[in-house]
Amino acid sequence: MSAISIRGVNKTYDGKVVALKDIHLEVEEGEVFGLVGPDGAGKSTLFNILTTLLLPDAGDIRIFQMDVIQNYKAVRQIIGYLPGTFSLYPDLSVQENLDFFAVMYKSSIEENMNIIEPIWKQISPFKDRKAGKLSGGMKQKLALCCALIHRPRILFLDEPTTGVDPVSRKEFWDILKSIRQHGITVVVSTPYMDEATRCDRIALIQNGEIIGVNPPQTIIQNFKGHLYTFKSDDIFSLLQVMEQCPLRCNYYPYGEHCHVAFYEDMETAMPQFERFLDEHQQPHSKITAIQPSVEDCFIEIVKGPISN
Amino acid sequence: MRTILILIKKEFLQVFRNPLLLSILVVAPMVEFMIFPFCADYEIKVLNIAFIDNDRSQISKDIIHSFNSSEIFVSKGLLTSKKDADEKMKHDKIDLLVEFPSHFEEALYKNEPTVIAVTANAINSVKAGISTGYVQEIIGGYMQDFAAAHTPSNMSAAMAQQASMQSNNASFSQGEERRRSNSTTVMPEQTITPPMPIHISISNIYWYNEQMNYKNLIVPGILVILVTLIGCYVTALNLVREKEIGTIEQVNVTPIRRWQFLLGKMIPFWLLGMAEFGAGLIIMKFVFGISVQGSLPLLLGITAIYLLVMLGLGFFISSVSENQLQSMFIVLFLFIVFVLLSGVFTPTEGMPGWAHKINYLNPMSFYIEVIKKIILKGSEFESVMKETIVLSVMAVIINTGAVLSYREASK
Repeated sequence: MSAISIRGVNKTYDGKVVALKDIHLEVEEGEVFGLVGPDGAGKSTLFNILTTLLLPDAGDIRIFQMDVIQNYKAVRQIIGYLPGTFSLYPDLSVQENLDFFAVMYKSSIEENMNIIEPIWKQISPFKDRKAGKLSGGMKQKLALCCALIHRPRILFLDEPTTGVDPVSRKEFWDILKSIRQHGITVVVSTPYMDEATRCDRIALIQNGEIIGVNPPQTIIQNFKGHLYTFKSDDIFSLLQVMEQCPLRCNYYPYGEHCHVAFYEDMETAMPQFERFLDEHQQPHSKITAIQPSVEDCFIEIVKGPISN
Repeated sequence: MRTILILIKKEFLQVFRNPLLLSILVVAPMVEFMIFPFCADYEIKVLNIAFIDNDRSQISKDIIHSFNSSEIFVSKGLLTSKKDADEKMKHDKIDLLVEFPSHFEEALYKNEPTVIAVTANAINSVKAGISTGYVQEIIGGYMQDFAAAHTPSNMSAAMAQQASMQSNNASFSQGEERRRSNSTTVMPEQTITPPMPIHISISNIYWYNEQMNYKNLIVPGILVILVTLIGCYVTALNLVREKEIGTIEQVNVTPIRRWQFLLGKMIPFWLLGMAEFGAGLIIMKFVFGISVQGSLPLLLGITAIYLLVMLGLGFFISSVSENQLQSMFIVLFLFIVFVLLSGVFTPTEGMPGWAHKINYLNPMSFYIEVIKKIILKGSEFESVMKETIVLSVMAVIINTGAVLSYREASK
């Protein structure tokens, strides 16, 4: 059964800024679905429409067969939403915030304790502390509790790990996995490509358009180029030199490395490339072939095979 | 029901945990209430007066002496020249100058017209008007006594009639500082009414405010301002704050209905407003000695309705504004218009016709009417029925507007 079905959704702000262009998506019940894309791609706009906070210009959206515009009251009862910015009452305590949202959803903490328990265990030592005084990771966990307190069928998380440290990010994804065991469909957006591999399926979104929906493994399998990595002491001058590279390739800095994806027959291309670097006096570490990450795939999809 | 109760609980928790809001709600109004009525006062308690006596006669001395016996006037003595007086008035050493012409006494006895010049600093035109009035009263009183004591009764009228006075306001040479130039506003020439040939004394009785105590007018006015501030300001800031910190989105994705949400916000501030009003009434009684003449339940009932108008207005403003700053400016603008037109500080009778028409939309002008009538006059329901109906209609309209303008999903 499809949990979310989106057909032909368009959204333009102020008649000028096109945020979403003809979006089609199906999210299956029980999956962890990732919406991956850079800032400004339209992730939050799509989330606001799905969570009944924003009206689309056109299109049909159904959540468990319910129209989000006509039937928004019923939709609100079955969705949980964790917005991108912390939006609980900072002057209420952890316990008071949770009580408040439980009543808002006509639910109770005891009723759904089994869902929130793994998270609640971590934050309950601070239950009398004001929500505004919690650390970033704790705030996020409290917000998650509040979003789950009514046992929603779908949980929407808008960039839940933006600005959270790597350890807490990992913890957070472990929590999402446990939530899924309760049969809750999870839709999560993130600008971090590395997190995308933790989803069952991801949709890549760019400039308001979906440019591919697949399981992360499939996306990686579909990578067309031959990906190589090497280190250079002077990435800046290397990137300038690469502009003159005669081979068909994509190059981009990747941390302190340079990634180059070639669209050539590598047996002849590799010696050619090494010669090219020597000619331009670019010292570099050993050039090694690697498996592409989702980020590499995303760049390939966005840029396409480029020939200089 | 449980939903609304937790909303109310949440709102109270937030109010009592916010020291700034709490002090805006409780301390500030109470302090203002205790200070304002002593300051916002038209009564003139001290007037510095000086004299130029070109006559140096017994009568002029007697008149000067009669000023000394007044509690209001503080004599700054005799001055020798007009120039000296100008200088003193410029430096605010004196407020009034009374100048006797030479041959003043002679003219009186000869039954010839003569003029006493009263010069007042008219930077504060109200003060100048009132103080020249006081001067006329004192001189007029003296002339009456003088006429009765010194001449046969048939002479007195004629004699007194001659003693017409002219009071003119200070006029200074051009090119002086701007503050002075204000004072050149020439007041119309006032001729004192001659003492009556037959002694008729007029005694004034001021109904509903027997001592002509200005506090009786200003204290209820300030009570109105406080109730308005609590009702409108605090609510206008409250809802928009939820927008700013994003909690409104979190609440909007819950299945709660918008009227529930607004009701949950209204009830706490309505209760706070009523408590504030009650505290105001207590202070009014024990600090200013003004007790409610009319029915207390009636007063509370109409206040409850008025608070609904103000709360609704506050919510309406905050649902159409983006942030606290915007809503604060709108409230401030409306508040000033409301206060100036309402008749809290200035009588509405003197306002032009269009102002009266605008006042039909001004809830404060209806409410101040009610407050004055019930607290000072002890009016019954019949005489405030019109205001009650108008305020009720306003409450319904503005709250409907607030609920409708509160959008759960944006476009």
